[in-house]
Amino acid sequence: MSEARSPYKMRPPVMQVRVEDSMDIMIVRDTTRRAAALLGFSPAHRAQLASASATLAELVLKTGEVHTIHLNGIIDGARSGLQISSETPWLASVSANNVLTALKSKMGELVDEILLERDPTTILMVMWLTSEGRQDER
Amino acid sequence: MALEVLLVEDSKTQAAQIKETLESVGLRVRVAYDGPDGLREAIANPPALIVLDVKLPTMDGFQVCRRLKRNPTTQDIPVIMLTEKSDPKATMSGLRSGADDYIPKDIFASEHLIETLQELGLLEE
Repeated sequence: MSEARSPYKMRPPVMQVRVEDSMDIMIVRDTTRRAAALLGFSPAHRAQLASASATLAELVLKTGEVHTIHLNGIIDGARSGLQISSETPWLASVSANNVLTALKSKMGELVDEILLERDPTTILMVMWLTSEGRQDER
Repeated sequence: MALEVLLVEDSKTQAAQIKETLESVGLRVRVAYDGPDGLREAIANPPALIVLDVKLPTMDGFQVCRRLKRNPTTQDIPVIMLTEKSDPKATMSGLRSGADDYIPKDIFASEHLIETLQELGLLEE
């Protein structure tokens, strides 16, 4: 099983879900809501994060390979948030710009940041809990 | 006295299941089976909470929620959308229409609904 990585300092909660079949998408959504609740996100932001993680789970499921979705609390200075990530090795040869454009057009409204890290290629999505960096303050 | 919930859901089977969940935690439930009826019910007798399906005949849940949030009588009533449409676009449409939560109708829906009721202060934890 892959390990979580982040450009930010990671902290609890640390959760992971193996995605093997379509039932796991529901489990990813549920686990994300629980991780977001532990960090103090509002119900509306939990819904956004759950939709983002379920969409990522649907994406990795389409490859036919088993993947792991990681959920991690993160800290960056005064900001704290939740990171959703998954290794996506099949995107290793695709340009980062193309991947990020596609991901942001589908999920850009749901989270504050979508990042692509290399070696191994990993999609990361972040929502910050504090107002700094929020795109969608409701 | 138990808090009253207005459930707007066109499927009688699903309405019965959601009603049972809400009643199991001590809430009273009124049911409206379409959007216009739900709006009339909410304005005539404002409930403590509205649980709203998205896919409704005549007027969808997004439209109903926007109208509820524009009406001074109903604008402060929390709205939870309970839906089969869970893609990012639908989720953002629901939240932008003013819903306090957007919960997909899956096997965890009842748990998430009750947790949100607690979060909104409508149930004791």
